Amino acid sequence: MDKIYNDFTINVATANGTGSQSSNLIILHSMFEMGVPVSGKNLFPSNISGLPTWFIIRASDKGYQAPGDETNIQIIMNKDTWEKDLKALEPGTIVIFNEDAKMPVERDDCICLGMPMTTMARGISPKMARLMANMYYVGGIAHLLGIDEGAISSAVEQQFRGKENAITMNLQAISEARSYASENWGDVSKFAVVARDKSSDTFLIEGNEAVALGCIYGGINMLSWYPITPSSSLAESIINWIPKLREAGDGGSTCAVVQAEDELAAAGMVLGAGWAGGRGMTCTSGPGISLMSEFIGLFYFAEVPGVIWDINRTGPSTGLPTRTQQGDLSMCYEASHGDTQHIVLIPGTVDECFEFGWRAFDYAERFQTLVFGFGDLDLGMNRWSTSGFDYPSEKMDRGKVIRTQEQMDAIPDFGRYRDVDGDGVAYRTLPGSGLAPILYRGTGHDEDGIYSEDPDVYYQAMQRLKRKIDGSRDVLPAPVIREEEEGDVGIIFYGSMENSIVEIDDMLEERGMSVSTCRVRALPYHSEVEGFIERHNRVVVMEINRDGQLYGILRKELPRHLISKLYSVAYSDGLPPKAREYANRVAEVLGD
Amino acid sequence: MVKLNVLNLEKSEYKGGKSSLCPGCGHDQISNVIIQAAWENGIKPEGIAKMSGIGCSSKTPAYFLAKSHGFNTVHGRMPSVTTGANMINKDLAFIAVSGDGDTASIGIGQFIHAIRRNLDMVYIIENNGVYGLTKGQYSATVEKGSKKKKGTANEQAPIDLCAMAVNLGCTFVARSFSGSKKQLTALLRAAMSHRGMAIIDVISPCVTFANNDESYRSYNYVKSNDEVLHIVDYIPHFSPLSEVEVPEGEFSDISLFDGSTLRLETVSEDHDPGDAVAALRAIHEATQEGRHVTGLLYYNPNQPTATDTLGLTDTPLVGLSDEEMRPSAESLKEVNAGFRASDSS
Ligand SMILES: Cc1ncc(C[n+]2csc(CCOP(=O)(O)OP(=O)(O)O)c2C)c(N)n1
Ligand code: SF4
Ligand SMILES: [Mg+2]
Repeated sequence: MDKIYNDFTINVATANGTGSQSSNLIILHSMFEMGVPVSGKNLFPSNISGLPTWFIIRASDKGYQAPGDETNIQIIMNKDTWEKDLKALEPGTIVIFNEDAKMPVERDDCICLGMPMTTMARGISPKMARLMANMYYVGGIAHLLGIDEGAISSAVEQQFRGKENAITMNLQAISEARSYASENWGDVSKFAVVARDKSSDTFLIEGNEAVALGCIYGGINMLSWYPITPSSSLAESIINWIPKLREAGDGGSTCAVVQAEDELAAAGMVLGAGWAGGRGMTCTSGPGISLMSEFIGLFYFAEVPGVIWDINRTGPSTGLPTRTQQGDLSMCYEASHGDTQHIVLIPGTVDECFEFGWRAFDYAERFQTLVFGFGDLDLGMNRWSTSGFDYPSEKMDRGKVIRTQEQMDAIPDFGRYRDVDGDGVAYRTLPGSGLAPILYRGTGHDEDGIYSEDPDVYYQAMQRLKRKIDGSRDVLPAPVIREEEEGDVGIIFYGSMENSIVEIDDMLEERGMSVSTCRVRALPYHSEVEGFIERHNRVVVMEINRDGQLYGILRKELPRHLISKLYSVAYSDGLPPKAREYANRVAEVLGD
Repeated sequence: MVKLNVLNLEKSEYKGGKSSLCPGCGHDQISNVIIQAAWENGIKPEGIAKMSGIGCSSKTPAYFLAKSHGFNTVHGRMPSVTTGANMINKDLAFIAVSGDGDTASIGIGQFIHAIRRNLDMVYIIENNGVYGLTKGQYSATVEKGSKKKKGTANEQAPIDLCAMAVNLGCTFVARSFSGSKKQLTALLRAAMSHRGMAIIDVISPCVTFANNDESYRSYNYVKSNDEVLHIVDYIPHFSPLSEVEVPEGEFSDISLFDGSTLRLETVSEDHDPGDAVAALRAIHEATQEGRHVTGLLYYNPNQPTATDTLGLTDTPLVGLSDEEMRPSAESLKEVNAGFRASDSS
């Protein structure tokens, strides 16, 4: 049979709480081990046990990481979604199913491969048969695709690290399944894997863990948090790394962790930490940001440094708690009442998750303001490839803090909110220092921090704040631009859409379009974004939400002559972005 | 001759800006007591952090301790900001002012959780039974049957913040009256000498909206219905106990964290501040009779504070060097290597 190598999508339908996650990760890691470019996405429900879960594994020599257009191999283990999963398949799909489910498989146009998984698992461990049954589809897949045995063993060892018994039992299950498949199914798969050179440097990691490590190397001093999907694993990862990386000479920790009573309190703690001279951070998702809004305005107006990571999930309201979206961008950028504007850092890769993790603190202290890290469930909770994190290239920037009387004496006409240097950033002193104490406040204040309702004082203060944040534009990460000569169509996008852009680009190229791309990595946007728009005839702003939030921000801030060049492609159904969906919409809005 | 404290500072070093509250407001009397207590205790002004929420009461940090940094935060959320600041600088002496609206309504959650963590701070509630700043609506602490200047009497049951604090295991719980300068000064000095959460619920009449005789929190009402638990006397650690005059009647001494003493002279019945049940009984009995019980209600020393349980390094985190905050380049190599090893074992 002519084989298609390293180019297929596997979909595993199970119920959560059945241990299938281990099986799925073993498939993913064993392929990764062989050097097959592979990505995995977990579509899980908002409960602990019993609801349907899908895990999508995509292999692609072209490096495509979005979920593919169709499923090539479907594994069905879940009775509840059995019929629907089967019905959705294209003719010719390979279906692997658990015969012990005793469910009908009426798809003569598909290649249906059954195995008595639960019965076989009972042979190894009667007690654990339900959980172990999932290991049998791993063996089935390994046979069909030709996954190396060595790669399987190391993936199993990694998954059950240190638990010898589990390693032996699971390896036995996989090997039994492999033999069963080879005897009963034969060579029926046109899809196969072939080993590629794997750089020995690469490994897979979740975006949330990458941010956590970035924070650890960014000198975080206080983490306050309130659990919420999909940000909890970020906080838990920081907590996990503190004893290993943040122990002082006396054995004590250099980062305090407070599990707050709610997100509101978590934000207040970050504010207190920043005011006292520390590096405070909290992480949450949309509902948490909504609650934090009042404090966010206080950060802005009283000019206190702090960092909040928003790992987006699907809104509005409680929404789809375990699905992804870029729905919080405009909220983060302008959170809280009155005129406010906040720095937003938008990583698109796990390397950037790490980098922006430490840089966020530097920007916060340099600009004496709140900095948002903007991630989402897709980037945060799925595993992505990196060749290792780079050590911070710059020293910590602690900003304009006056720590001694000599420093104070060197500043002419000091006032907490006086723009001595003309860059909109004033000098501050810390509580406990005895230097120029003031009562910080969220009420109107003059350049010395004294309460004021004077119209001119208010107006000037607000103008300076605008200048200050504006001044961050070209200091923040510049966009990543891939430019074609034609200069006709440009696509502006951000964040986790990075994982689909190459495929979208290829699909548009197939249609005869040549597109340049510009990935925005921070707000307020860099001047290079404006240059990019300037150089293209038509620019599509592509994002994972309904309303075109970045499109709206650009329309508000761009010079008039550039606004008419903009088109919006905004789409969100809760799932990670499918390339075809966006490519079609881009072609549609451009009328090409 | 000007009087100096143990730090050789004049009292003026502890003063603040000019108050903009209504003349006669109880809150101003409390500000004066804060100045007096901090001066008498000889606390370094720069070592203090003044915290507050929003309300007439929460404005007062502008009117005392001008040499201390402070933060007039948002409505009801002062405890969380104090928590964050405490994590970063546990050496700061936090003196916080809140109102009954600020604490008992919008901020009740943060109040509870700050107590639960035994945050190391002095938490003063300037309790007038109304929202002064928004022009006199009832607050959640106002007694059933109490009536403010305008409108009808309050019908809802009050939240007693001291009872609540005792129930939550707060380590220092006292009640006082802005008009009882001597008692309030002694209790506040003791609270400043305590390590952990010290709550003082101070009845502080709002002269503009609720100082009529039918208001349970008016000057006249409180003066004639104050049930004093004991006469309190504060003896600082720097003046030896042996030199202090011994009272004639019965008394007991309480030692505070910094070595100072609070002397409790029995008035009629003996109250044991180590007994939470006795504290709750005293509060409830007084409430039933429409009276206010004042004094040190409950004291439970030597409990771990919010920062004690976190295993932090000795240096306050604000004092760490960049090297202590950022792990080495070598360590990152090991982290990367660890991930690589687990992905290709
Ligand atoms: C979020 C929010 N809601 C409402 C207000 C309006 N507000 C300001 S002070 C106050 C009540 C203050 O009452 P209290 O804490 O008892 O202080 P007092 O003025 O009586 O001293 C209210 C409701 C506000 N500032 N913020
Ligand atoms: S309104 Fe009441 S609480 Fe506010 S300042 Fe006046 S008297 Fe004091
Ligand atoms: Mg009040």
